[in-house]
Amino acid sequence: MPINYQQVYSQIRAIGAEAQMHGQALKAQRERARQLLEAFAEQTAWLRERLEEARRVYPDLRCAIPLEEPLNARHPLPNLEVNYTLLAADGSQIAPDRHAMVLFGLVNIGIICMRRGSGKTPETFTESHLLFDKDLYTEDGHLLNESLLAMQRDLRERALLAEMARQAEKPAIALTDGPLELWGLKEAESTDSYRRALEQYLHILKELRGENVIPAGYVDKPMANLVVRLLEIADLPQDALKDLKEHYPLRGVSDRWLFGERGRPLLRAGERSAVFGLQSRSRQFYREEIALHFFYLNVGDDQHPWPVRVEVPAWVARDRAMLDRLHVALVEQCRMMGARPFPYLLHRAHEIALVSRDEKSQIETMLAIELRGQGQEVDESSAKQTAKEGIRR
Amino acid sequence: MTTPLEVGRLLRANTNGFVAGCRVSKLGAPAFGALVRVPLPSGEEIYGLIYNIQIADDGLVRQLVTSENVSEEVMRDNRERRIVPVEMSVLSIGYAQNGRLYYLLPPRPPLSLDVIYLCDAAEVRRFTSGNFGYFRHILRAANNLPMAELLAAHLLQAAPTHADQQDWLKKAIQEIIVLLRDDYSNLMAVLNALREVIF
Repeated sequence: MPINYQQVYSQIRAIGAEAQMHGQALKAQRERARQLLEAFAEQTAWLRERLEEARRVYPDLRCAIPLEEPLNARHPLPNLEVNYTLLAADGSQIAPDRHAMVLFGLVNIGIICMRRGSGKTPETFTESHLLFDKDLYTEDGHLLNESLLAMQRDLRERALLAEMARQAEKPAIALTDGPLELWGLKEAESTDSYRRALEQYLHILKELRGENVIPAGYVDKPMANLVVRLLEIADLPQDALKDLKEHYPLRGVSDRWLFGERGRPLLRAGERSAVFGLQSRSRQFYREEIALHFFYLNVGDDQHPWPVRVEVPAWVARDRAMLDRLHVALVEQCRMMGARPFPYLLHRAHEIALVSRDEKSQIETMLAIELRGQGQEVDESSAKQTAKEGIRR
Repeated sequence: MTTPLEVGRLLRANTNGFVAGCRVSKLGAPAFGALVRVPLPSGEEIYGLIYNIQIADDGLVRQLVTSENVSEEVMRDNRERRIVPVEMSVLSIGYAQNGRLYYLLPPRPPLSLDVIYLCDAAEVRRFTSGNFGYFRHILRAANNLPMAELLAAHLLQAAPTHADQQDWLKKAIQEIIVLLRDDYSNLMAVLNALREVIF
């Protein structure tokens, strides 16, 4: 029996019993968050000073940095001509599996380029890079794990996107799924490979700046509380800043709720929020023109708001024309997908990049045949793997 | 000699017929009732009539149809770039072996990914110049396909390939009447459909 439903059911009942109490507390927290947003909306200069002090106490602080406009500013969908190039990239990977017949990895990148307003068929591009033998190990001899491979994938994805964006007709928007920040586990950030990857990535971003491309990271259903965290800091008494790390009175309230409360969303259909700077540990790397910024955008409608976070570099955040272009493009792309808004082109990039289980198995077989053909020894799948596959069948 | 027009590749098959797949962008070529052929590596050629064309959907297409704005670029992307094949069901009605035509079911079906070609006018004329023995395959499959419509579509496409078009049509219809003489309801359905061809 795969799951002991009796046990799970008792636990679900217990969760349900607590939910009502939790719901009441959350309601009060949400109300407080709304009040704080209104109260501090115009005090952006004071908030920036307050953040500076907070950063001195807690340099790893992650929250929104207010710019000049009010925290609760709203920008309606600009009325612009639909005429731009949109590129989207996504990637998938196969991590080396010691239970497999042959040890290998794969990074697969899918890119799609659409010239809106041209009536032309979008161009698609796939790059598959097989990792074998020494490619599979880090400099200190460890086998590549999922997170290291994901970092390689992200870097390659962005390098290819930049290459295509350079050749694209302008204005051009280069879209990736997820944050614009190169992601890495905290423990990986001190490694040479992460530092090198970050260096390359920063270089790519600077190149895009030179080409006047609009790069953007699209975060669907964001869980972060960047603006809410800013409100928590704002509400903290001056002498309590030292307790910042333990101060989370609005925990559970998300930015997504703040900007897109069902029934009375702060952002109406198609509206975007003010642009905020991103305060995070990585801020030391993303400086000046490539400093990370973000805004929230309601790609849903008034009845079913769907706020997403859009990350952009500073040169886009400071250029109203670029922001408007991106705003229009994202809303249009999401509306193409009907009731479940998500940029059409990002979905297509994902579809192009995706490596299925069957494809993984085909590559493994092809590799094994080639190695055997060359008179090389090929191992067997582990007994554990064979037994698992038996269960799947 | 004109280049043979490839309309798709084989997805699955059995002795009675087969299903071919093609990209939506190639859908301009095959038509309901068209005669197609599949050359086999052994030298034989299997002939069949397209009796169903199915446009498959998937999650993305279902999502896009609910949208109010589907741009020209998205439409083209879905039709030309995405892997959503058009399926064509084909009824086997004969085969050629060593240069001779047989209105019999083929000795073996075609294999996966075999190429399916649309027959040109000369090939249609050659295949339909015999004694109409292949009609019985269409009548036999009456429960699984739109028989009357298929016969009408076939005659409409085959007749112009013959120099004596009216004479060929007359003989074809006489053959159908003879074959369906004991099946009044199907005969009437076929004759009603054929009215479109004759007048």
